[in-house]
This record gives sequence, C-alpha cells and structure tokens, in this order.
Amino acid sequence: MSVLTLQHLSKKYGRIQALQDVSFEVPEGCVFGILGPNGSGKTTLLGIIMNVLQPSGGDFSFFNEPASAALRKKIGTLLETPNFYAYLSAVDNLKIAAAIKGVPESDIDRVLELVALTERKDSKFSTYSLGMKQRLAIASCLLGDPTVLVFDEPTNGLDPVGIAEIRNLIIQLYKQGKTIIMASHLLDEVEKVCTHVAILQRGKLLASGNVDEILVNEDIVEVASTNLDALAELLKDYPELVRMVPQSQFLELYFTTGMVSMESLNQFCFSKGIVLQHLRLRKKSLETKFFELTQNK
Amino acid sequence: MHLLKIEWLKVRSYRTFWILFGGFVLLFPLTFYFFIDKYNESVDNNAQGKMISSLLDNPSFFPKIWHSASWFGGLFFILVGMLLILLVTNEVQYRTHRQNIIDGLSREEFMLSKMLVGLVLAIAATLVVILSALVVGLIFSKDTSHLFEGMKYIGFFFLMSLQYLMVALVIAFLIKRTGLAIIIYFAFVFIIDNLLWVSLIRNNSKVGYFLPLESTDSLVPNPFIPRMMAQRNVEDSSLLICAAIYFVLMAVLVMRYFKKVDLKN
Repeated sequence: MSVLTLQHLSKKYGRIQALQDVSFEVPEGCVFGILGPNGSGKTTLLGIIMNVLQPSGGDFSFFNEPASAALRKKIGTLLETPNFYAYLSAVDNLKIAAAIKGVPESDIDRVLELVALTERKDSKFSTYSLGMKQRLAIASCLLGDPTVLVFDEPTNGLDPVGIAEIRNLIIQLYKQGKTIIMASHLLDEVEKVCTHVAILQRGKLLASGNVDEILVNEDIVEVASTNLDALAELLKDYPELVRMVPQSQFLELYFTTGMVSMESLNQFCFSKGIVLQHLRLRKKSLETKFFELTQNK
Repeated sequence: MHLLKIEWLKVRSYRTFWILFGGFVLLFPLTFYFFIDKYNESVDNNAQGKMISSLLDNPSFFPKIWHSASWFGGLFFILVGMLLILLVTNEVQYRTHRQNIIDGLSREEFMLSKMLVGLVLAIAATLVVILSALVVGLIFSKDTSHLFEGMKYIGFFFLMSLQYLMVALVIAFLIKRTGLAIIIYFAFVFIIDNLLWVSLIRNNSKVGYFLPLESTDSLVPNPFIPRMMAQRNVEDSSLLICAAIYFVLMAVLVMRYFKKVDLKN
C-alpha cells in the first residue's frame, strides 16, 4: 500500500510557482528522500501535506485516505525548524506534543533517551544549542512510536557526530519497518540513507523511483569499431551491462561502478573478430548525475 | 476540555501570563477599593459632592456598586485582552501554531482552543469583579437591603469582556506580530473606537452606540458622572442584539480566515 500519494500537486505564492504538477507515490516501509537544491519546493511540499499550507491545485492522500488531523496525529513530523515554546523545558514541550497526539506522557522519557537529551530534559528550550533543538524535534516526532515519519532536513545544524547518529537512527527506524519521508538538499545524505528518491527542481519533479535506479553510480564505456551495428549486436548480452546507448560515432555502455574491465572487454571483442578503434572509460559521479538531473531540464 | 488542558500546559509556566493576569486580579480590586474610598471621602467633605452623589445614587454603595465595579473592571480588562493577543502571537513567533497543527490539531481546534482560553479568562475576570464588588460594597455600604439588585451589570461586564477578547483575537490572528498587534489593539480600543463614538454621538445620532466595542461599553456607562449627562437613548436589548451580531460575525470571520491561510510564519 502506498503511504502517501501526491496527484498533480501545485502551489503558487503570488506569481511564484513553488510547486508545479508534482505526482509521486511513497511505498510502505521505505526511506523516501525528497532531494533538491534550496528553494526547490521541498518544504512547501511537506507543508502542504501537513496542512500548514494550502495547495493551489492537486490532491494528496495518506494510506489512500484524505488527509485529516486524526491521521496527522499518527505521523511524526519535523518541518523546517524545530518549533517549541522557548520558555518551557524539553519535557514540558513534549507534554504538549504528547497531549495533542494523544500519546501517554510516559513515552516522553523513552524518546528523550533515544536522542540523548535525558540529562538536559529540564532545561528551558531557549537554552538549547541548535543541535539539541534539532534532536528535541526528532524526539517529538518519535512520540507514540508512529509508523510514518516525516523529516525536513533532519541533520540540519548538527555536528558530524550528531549527523551520523541521526542517520543511524533513521536507518534503525527503517529496519523496524517504518516509512520515513525526508527532505534533503544533500545528495550524499539521500544516497546513504534513502531507498527511494524524488528529485525536485524549481518546483518540478524531475525524477522519482528507487535510489539504485535514479542515483546509480555508473561507469560509461565508449566503444567504436568500423561496423557499429555489428558491435552493438555482439555486446548486447555482455555480462554486467546495464544498458547501451548508441551515439553517432560510438556506443555508450553503462556499467555499475567497478563492474567492468577494459582489458577483458577489449579481449572479448577481439576474440569475436571485431577490432575496437575507440575504447574509453568515463567515470560518472553522483554529483554530475545530480547536476545533469537538475541543470538540463 | 482536552483543548484547555493543552492550553494549560502552555501557560502554566509562562511568566508573562501570570504577571498580566495577576496584574488584573490584584490591581483591579486594590485600585477599586482605594478609588471608592477616596470618592466617599470627597463626597463626604463637601456639600456639592453630597448633592451630586444623591443625584447619582451613590456608586460606592449597594446596589450601584455592581455597576461601578463592572465599569471599573472594564478599564482593567483591556490588560486581559492584551494578554490574549500575546498568547496568540507567541504561537506565531515560536511557529508553534504550525507545530500544533502538524502534531494533529485541526485548524478549527486550534482556533477553538484560543477562544476557550478567552472564555476562561472572561469567566475568571467576572468572578474577580463580583468578589471585588461584594467585598468593597460590604465595607462601605451602610444599607445592604438591595444587595443583589444591580447584578445585571455583572452580566454586562461578562459580555463586554467577551467582546473585547474577540476583538483582541481577531487583531492577533490577522496581524500576527506581537508588537504591532498590541499597538493596533490599544489604538482601536482607546483612540479609534472613542473618536468614532464621539464624532457619531455628537449630533445626537444613535449610530455611535452600535460600534463593535461601544455596543457592549454602552451597556455599562460611566457611573461616576451625573446621570443626566450620560443619557443614552438606545434600549439595552438593541445593544445586546447588536453586540451578539458583531461577536458572531467576528468569530466566523476569524475562523474562516484561519482555516484557509498559509501558516508561513
């Protein structure tokens, strides 16, 4: 079952089109990354599904049901910045969140322990560092052990140790079978944590699907011989070949990183009676892939 | 009740809330007591005062004391309106209104919870006014035979406080910024409303009584000025209807606004 379905979601702020006709589905039990540069509409999208922003068009549903306050109680959400009452302690802030969600107050100690804030639980929120605020916000999301979590830039403001901790926490939650939807502008983060991804650029959806398919690290081998058609015919079943893209002067062979040896490829063609006149390996990094996705369209 | 519990968690350790509300609970009865004390002194000390006082049927004794306490309480209640503004704009400032909704309150519930806070504040303030009138009245009145006669003014005070709070709520939700909202609230309560009232009432027109705040203000006219100078030519009942219409209109307007608006910050 799909946890979240977006259908043609659009949002305009005056003349600015913050989201344009975005549709995708978040399957159950995945870590779904929403990837895009700053200002690409990630937070707007999450704001709409959490009912703090009104869509200009389109529709969305959770578990195939129209969104409602009751459904939101069962989803732990951190949107943009941690929002708490500055004059209250961590515990008192979580009491409010627990009361709204209908979660017993006894759950508060557990979630504070999970984000390592137990020692500072009675300090006022206003005395917290940025990283602690962020961790408290994540603790608040975990109240009531929801099956769906929505994190907007969850590692924002954290130091490297904190970032690693939160990423591990997300992976643990995923292993427990929870669905996590997270927005991030960090490609590296999405690659490390997510199983699925949707890429946004200036409010438009560029791609969505499995991380392995969308953000795959690929080696591209260019090959050419006098007869390109014969070469293509020969190589179409070559082991580990992901796909082949014919160009005018050569063929592009896509392999998963590290899966191809130039030497054996050359030897293979030669043994089949085709002499290569061009053989070149191009490394394609994730960053170029990301740039490709976000720049070209 | 659930909503009020959530609101209670928010204000329980909010110092400004207790300072402002405590300010009303302590300052109003004390000021009222000393004012009545001084008033009686000045009345007793000169013949002219005695005459005025008899014309007024003395506002420091029962049953008129209910009226004067309600009027006096109205002056102090403006503080409580400011408090409600603060409670709303704080949420915007901390972006907790967003978080409350993200966590699972509906927008209607959020608005309703603030209205309920207002209701509780109005009830509490009315109790304070009743107690103050009773205590001060018992201290100064020689005759307590008509003790409960003027109690309708307590009801009027309650309506007046609800009206002020609704105006405060509308301003807070529309303006969002604490400082600006409080400035506009005071400007409206002290200047705009009064200027309009004076300019409308001058040529003996009745329209002035039908301003949003005047409709309830006029229910509790100033008891310390001689009666003939404060002649109102509009029935209580029409003021009540008018006030109710304003109240419902404001409630519907602010609710509809809040249901649709983008909660950016």
